Amino acid sequence: MGKAALIAWREIRWEIFGDRGAILRTGFFAFLPILFVMSGRGVPGGPNDISMLVLALQSTLIPALSGVALIASTFTQEKENGTLVPLLASPIRDIDIVVGKLLGMVVPVMLICAGSLTVFYVLGTLLYGASRVRHALPPEILFALLVVALLYLMTAGSWVLIVAAVVRTSRAGQQIAGLMIGLSAAIFAVLGVAATRIADGWALLGLGLAFVAADIVALEIARRVWQRSEVIGRI
Amino acid sequence: MIDVRDVSRSFGRTLALEHVSFRVEPGEIVALLGPNGAGKTTASRIIAGILAPTAGDVLVDGISVRADPGSIRERCGMVTDQPSLYERMTLRAYLAFFCHLYDVPAAAKRTEELAAILGLTDRLDMRLGAFSRGMKQKVAIARGLVHDPPVLLLDEPATALDPETARSLRSFIVSLRARHRAILLCTHDLDEAQRIADRAVILYRGRVAREGLTGALRADLHPRFVVSFTGDVAVARATLARAGVTAEATASENGHAALRFDADEPGTTNPVVLRALLASGLQVVTLVREERSLEDAYFSIVAEARKPEDEHRG
Repeated sequence: MGKAALIAWREIRWEIFGDRGAILRTGFFAFLPILFVMSGRGVPGGPNDISMLVLALQSTLIPALSGVALIASTFTQEKENGTLVPLLASPIRDIDIVVGKLLGMVVPVMLICAGSLTVFYVLGTLLYGASRVRHALPPEILFALLVVALLYLMTAGSWVLIVAAVVRTSRAGQQIAGLMIGLSAAIFAVLGVAATRIADGWALLGLGLAFVAADIVALEIARRVWQRSEVIGRI
Repeated sequence: MIDVRDVSRSFGRTLALEHVSFRVEPGEIVALLGPNGAGKTTASRIIAGILAPTAGDVLVDGISVRADPGSIRERCGMVTDQPSLYERMTLRAYLAFFCHLYDVPAAAKRTEELAAILGLTDRLDMRLGAFSRGMKQKVAIARGLVHDPPVLLLDEPATALDPETARSLRSFIVSLRARHRAILLCTHDLDEAQRIADRAVILYRGRVAREGLTGALRADLHPRFVVSFTGDVAVARATLARAGVTAEATASENGHAALRFDADEPGTTNPVVLRALLASGLQVVTLVREERSLEDAYFSIVAEARKPEDEHRG
């Protein structure tokens, strides 16, 4: 896995931190949850536990949407610019390329998700009081929220990866990523409504299980479509 | 050493390579020539271990590309027609990244070595996006050499290079031959191929149309002569046509009018030409054998390979 880590490091250091557009896009997504809290959305006198959980969930997952755009651009641009060919010609395993690219997207985006959740927690504490927030969001729920964000990233990333293997231009890749982001945002909204009606723990558990199932299917398909011979045949 | 054995490759219904076989020995430069779509890039990608053959096999240093493509990739350095660089990286970071991918020990030292060889030492900390096209191509070459591979696959390495850089690149490739590297040069530049390649493999529609030493391919052509004279070209052409010799106008080095003609049996044809011209009152200045180029051989071989199609159409 050393070479996957090397690819991930290159991706983070040079493609994400070297691309102002990527930073701006990511920053935009990270800024949205803060607006949620500041808008005073919820019940007068502070949101109840369920509403607090939904806001926290959205604060964590919405920045993850930026990861979808990142993974789409990283793969389609490599195909379009031909930079994938020297990478495929090097003595690394196909899976190292896929995992390295996914890691290069997941690590920075997860940091942003965690940062966004932290900002939500701190702002919530200031606005609604520490005991209210601590009661609604105990450590195990915070951990579960981050796990769900990670699973979402892996799932969305893998599906975008599959699409990126097939499309020829980064423009098409970005369009697909846009669709994926729109679909995800709609799912998150529905999730908010569902979470207010179902006991909180079950909503998260159900979501987590759905992501795991989608992950397994998507990663297996991604592994197959990103086999060297398959990819090089499409470049 | 590269040993391509009866390799075929198809993409869906399209047959890109059909029963292709050739070898490249250590210390040898082989030019892989052919029109667009002939299968050159597909062949080099199969040899590089990044594309599996549909049938047949390739051995690199005795290792089968089917059995162990990973080991093949360790032994091959590939340079593509487009530099295909990560343009946000600096040269130093870029070469170090590929050194690590190829498990090159002392990556920092190797990076500086390669930069020095290609005259890029003062650009080590510049972003690749700021490099000129020629410099980018040099970086692509350095990338192919990070692990000092015994086999080099060069796909149009001199594309878009200025004459000076192209010349220094040719010298560099020749110096690699002297270090016993097996070099496969895919190119459309027949002049470049003639200058540096020992042998040529000409592909046409995925098949080997001809293979041989570049000198032998040129020598196999019909002998061609140029006769220069004082007088009217049209009159001379008509005179030769009456004598049964087809000739075409050309430029002569001495500034006189000149005609070019093929002569399978120069001992018979040339006296006929001279007699006919003199009898017409034309004054012959020189009659010289024209040196045939690899380009002549290439066009002749491709025309030969195309004949069945033309006949089918006709």
